[in-house]
Amino acid sequence: MRLIGFSTGAVAYSDFRRALEVLSNEPVNCVELSALRLHEVEPLLSTVKSLDLRRYEYVSFHAPSKFPVEEERSLVERLSCLPPEWPIILHPDVIGDYALWRSLGPRLSIENMDRRKPVGRTVEELKPVFDKLPKATMCFDIGHARQCDKSMTEAYKLLKTFQSRLKQIHISEVNTASQHDPISYAAKLAFQEVASLISPDIPVIIESRVVPSEIRQEIHRAIEALPGLDPILASCKDLRGRNSAVLMH
Amino acid sequence: MVEQLHIGLMPVVDSAIDKLAARLGANWANLRAARKMAFEKRRAIQTDLSEFNSADSSIIVYGSLGRDEFTPGSDLDWTLLVDGIADPSHLDVALAIKARLEELGHKPPGREGVFGSLAFSHELIHQIGGQDDTNANTTRRILLLLESAAIGRADAHKRALSSVLHRYLKEDRGLWHGSGKFKVPRFLLNDIARYWRTMAVDFASKQRARGNEGFAMRNLKLRMSRKLIFISGLLACFSCHLDLSDAEKGQIYPAEAVQPLVVHLQRHLELTPLEALAAALLGFEQLDASSAKLFRAYDAFVGILADESLLSDGKTRRKHLEDLAIDDLGKDTVFANAREISHEFRDAVHEIFLKSSTELSQLTIEYGVF
Repeated sequence: MRLIGFSTGAVAYSDFRRALEVLSNEPVNCVELSALRLHEVEPLLSTVKSLDLRRYEYVSFHAPSKFPVEEERSLVERLSCLPPEWPIILHPDVIGDYALWRSLGPRLSIENMDRRKPVGRTVEELKPVFDKLPKATMCFDIGHARQCDKSMTEAYKLLKTFQSRLKQIHISEVNTASQHDPISYAAKLAFQEVASLISPDIPVIIESRVVPSEIRQEIHRAIEALPGLDPILASCKDLRGRNSAVLMH
Repeated sequence: MVEQLHIGLMPVVDSAIDKLAARLGANWANLRAARKMAFEKRRAIQTDLSEFNSADSSIIVYGSLGRDEFTPGSDLDWTLLVDGIADPSHLDVALAIKARLEELGHKPPGREGVFGSLAFSHELIHQIGGQDDTNANTTRRILLLLESAAIGRADAHKRALSSVLHRYLKEDRGLWHGSGKFKVPRFLLNDIARYWRTMAVDFASKQRARGNEGFAMRNLKLRMSRKLIFISGLLACFSCHLDLSDAEKGQIYPAEAVQPLVVHLQRHLELTPLEALAAALLGFEQLDASSAKLFRAYDAFVGILADESLLSDGKTRRKHLEDLAIDDLGKDTVFANAREISHEFRDAVHEIFLKSSTELSQLTIEYGVF
């Protein structure tokens, strides 16, 4: 069964509790706990042990996308206390001291970046990052890759080059302002072109910013964008409607 | 696959031209000098235009500067290629670039208005064929593929190039489903062939519009550099068959995998036309005599354009040819010499691409004629 779920930040901005509550009624079996802003880290970490995440077969943690350099060491130390099976998603442009992050080994999952960022967008830009983090895995953001190259050629190159590191997928439409929107028809067609390079056992995290009533429709779009999903999900046409009964759990 | 060799401001390393010259015991000094001058010129322009760098637009140079054939009298064909959100200030940027290049004394582009202003990726990608694919649009698109280099940030250049290639390949049903033994992208090839014929027809059109002014130089360029562009376009298309291993073809064509073929063509098109030609000819040792003839002729042609010594009329050879009246062609020794060089080039091209018993010849006849 394919692992598919949402980033908490996409469902409820800066409010992981609300996001988990919303997702508790949705047909998802994985989740990414988002702490994109530094101030979100502590509340999340302090609550982790009390969260009931048993319904999720896969959980990942998104590290902050910005922090003062003097906070880097303590941030890595705090993140290392997370359950060891949780991948820690990190933007490569925030890394100051590679040695600190190297200590996380394969738990560290480097994400390819959007057009705004000066590093981490292409194979050429990511190679030096992985050279310094030889055990790190990769979170492939297919929306970022498409924003950088609509022909999906860079996406193809990223997937081929870093296939053995692939840990997780981020999926959404990434608009010209680099915001995560619901998957458009054009994005779906583009994603389908490289979908065969993504193993069905790689978890897919939806980052599209949606309101609760749009969650199932967005799952349906993600399924269409990445064919070869779990037959139960793929055959469930009712996913199109919010009020339909979706049998996953 | 062809190894990456040339792009934008990077110096040429591991040059196929140099390898071919070494194999043939040749010394094409004019080509080497033009390549060096092109590299230095692009680097200087990058410094001069650095404030115009943007992720949403690229300054693209074409012509001799894009082909590494820059000589002292070369003009500077450029466009500001926009691949981003519509912004009224893009025109201000283009005008500022134009003014800056004029201030710096660069010879401006031709008078047709194809270069020296804005170009938009949307038109290049969406308007291939049909009524809206204007002469200027076709020119910009094909030259983007065959002889362009980005000055400064190349983001927009790369995106436009990959999207144009993606269109040509993805929509080429025969490439993916055809039963022929060769795998050649006909949609792309036909557009390149169309452009070659367009250049030839436009030559006649300009002859009429300009009352034969500049006939001699335009004629030589058509016989040499314009023909070279066409050859390099054919080679790019043929490379989809010739340069891929059976294993690579087995992975790409049955799976209709567009992106790896885009990657292959991107790499191929990073080569200048002459480099692409030399790289192809390195694989055909039996054609060495013709290869030597072809490159000797092209080197001599570039030598004429680069020669700054003055003739008895006080002009360089380039200027002499630019000003030569059509009625004087028959008795002019400079033109006669240049014409002889173009005939040597033509003969070598025919030997390689039409008369040899190689796949190059088979493919040219199969795809380049009918």
